[in-house]
Amino acid sequence: MSGLADLKLGFIPLTDCAPLVVAKSLGFFAEEGLDVSLSREASWATIRDKVAVGALDGAHMLAPMALAAAAGASGGLTLDVGPSLIAPMALNRNGSAITVSKALAQAMRAADPEAIGEQPASAAALAKVIAQRSGQGAAPLTFAVVFPYSMHNYELRYWLAQAGIDPDKDVRLVVTPPPRMVEQMRAGEIDGFCVGAPWNAVAEREGLGEIVIAASAFWPGGPDKVFGVTQAWAHHYPDELRAALRALIRAAAWADDAAHREDLIALLARPEHVGVAPEALARALSDEIVFHRGGAGVPRREHALWFLSQMVRWGQVSAEVDLEAAADAVYRPDMFRAAALSAGPMLDPNQVFADAPGELAPLYAGPAFDSQRAGPYAAAFSIGRARV
Amino acid sequence: MRVLVIDPDPARAALVAEGLAGVHPLEVRRSARFDEREAAEFAPDVVVIAAESPDRDTLESLREASQANPRPVVMFVDRSEPGLAEQAVRAGVAAYVVDGLAPARVRPILDVAMSRFALTQQLRGDLAKVKADLEARKTVERAKGLLMKERGLDEDGAYRLLRKLAMDRGKPIGAVAADLLAFAGVLKGDAS
Repeated sequence: MSGLADLKLGFIPLTDCAPLVVAKSLGFFAEEGLDVSLSREASWATIRDKVAVGALDGAHMLAPMALAAAAGASGGLTLDVGPSLIAPMALNRNGSAITVSKALAQAMRAADPEAIGEQPASAAALAKVIAQRSGQGAAPLTFAVVFPYSMHNYELRYWLAQAGIDPDKDVRLVVTPPPRMVEQMRAGEIDGFCVGAPWNAVAEREGLGEIVIAASAFWPGGPDKVFGVTQAWAHHYPDELRAALRALIRAAAWADDAAHREDLIALLARPEHVGVAPEALARALSDEIVFHRGGAGVPRREHALWFLSQMVRWGQVSAEVDLEAAADAVYRPDMFRAAALSAGPMLDPNQVFADAPGELAPLYAGPAFDSQRAGPYAAAFSIGRARV
Repeated sequence: MRVLVIDPDPARAALVAEGLAGVHPLEVRRSARFDEREAAEFAPDVVVIAAESPDRDTLESLREASQANPRPVVMFVDRSEPGLAEQAVRAGVAAYVVDGLAPARVRPILDVAMSRFALTQQLRGDLAKVKADLEARKTVERAKGLLMKERGLDEDGAYRLLRKLAMDRGKPIGAVAADLLAFAGVLKGDAS
């Protein structure tokens, strides 16, 4: 009817869906000749499956989710031999955080007042609380993450293990979708969680929890979500994909611009997008999440390899898997680059991908990550279950 | 066979139970949300869950925690049946089966769930469309009234003007009418 290519893109209510919401609401997709409808989805598994079967053309995705199938993890129950996913663009860096309940924060402070004051906060105080509780025969503490294959799962596990807490033995880990974290903490079902913005700030604003460590303190500029499509879709619709990427890159740049912050917050606060109080959105947007600066949109091979190393570390993927091949099959910086370069005067290529985006910043503690040796890195931790 | 249907919509779950009436023995239980303890107590052979349920992620993660959970769940849809998973996802249903149950026994459940889910989705879609059409018609009537009053047109003239505006702008007539009413409100100063 309109002559535009129709695309249906999925997202989960999180601050880092911003590039999709902005590209749609500000008409960037339309200017590229795309008639995009956004579909707010309730679970990551639904996003993955709908993209895989073509009910969605592309989506806001957990980066490790896109990688899981390629690495032979059961990243898709039904679809492990089905269409493979690719990530031609990263949607953001930083944005997640670990939050503990008020009661747990108090117990941590009482157990080790110094450790909880450290910057960045280690889990040493938590380790003491866990030891005390186990001495008293109390039930293990419960922590929630958003999906088994997520930055949030690996971030929380890493942080716990670094203080000597075995995430599979000393605590109970459960999976809860982002919008449900806060209600579960209120109900006392979980003692802590790792989730993306704005849900940590929402818990804090409601007086339920305290943020103990933000992603940028865990790993400055660490990766988070990607834009994912199937390999087959990218193959059949290369022009649409490039157009969508251009619109998303422009949207990411727009979202990063401090001059647009209030407009962005108002846009995301709408019920059909994230649907939370503007103040809760403001927090991570002011000094945490990066959408575009410093080549944030480039899906970096090193990031993929770090995620894969954590899958090996936690026994989700066999150590035999060729991690580099999996990373290269899914992460497609070449597509990002081609789209950015084709954008013409609307985007300054130098600014867009600041190509060669420097060295990775180190994670807050633990062995140094060497992307050339992701396998040995995965096995270098004292707590882990690398299957050899 | 014990079937757990996770769906906040009782009508839809009831349709699944009804559709399985011929299966013996059969026990169908519905829960609005997936609760691990409740599920462990009921010990279902199959879990049928609405694809739009946020609890899907929780359910799926139980496979991961197989050490903690002695009864891992997996999606039953067999690789040997190409297209079945696609159909299920499109119909809005995801099915999980407790390890050890033969896929063949679960197939009829998924078939029923798929057709029932698709039916309710269609009904719901039709209802939403009817509501939207009605709303658009009301808006057009109000816009016509406004034009008749402000421009001294008769009803037919007002409608023709709206239709022309819609065609010039390439927008549905309901949208043009809504814009007109919104701007009229602004001019009268009643916009916030």
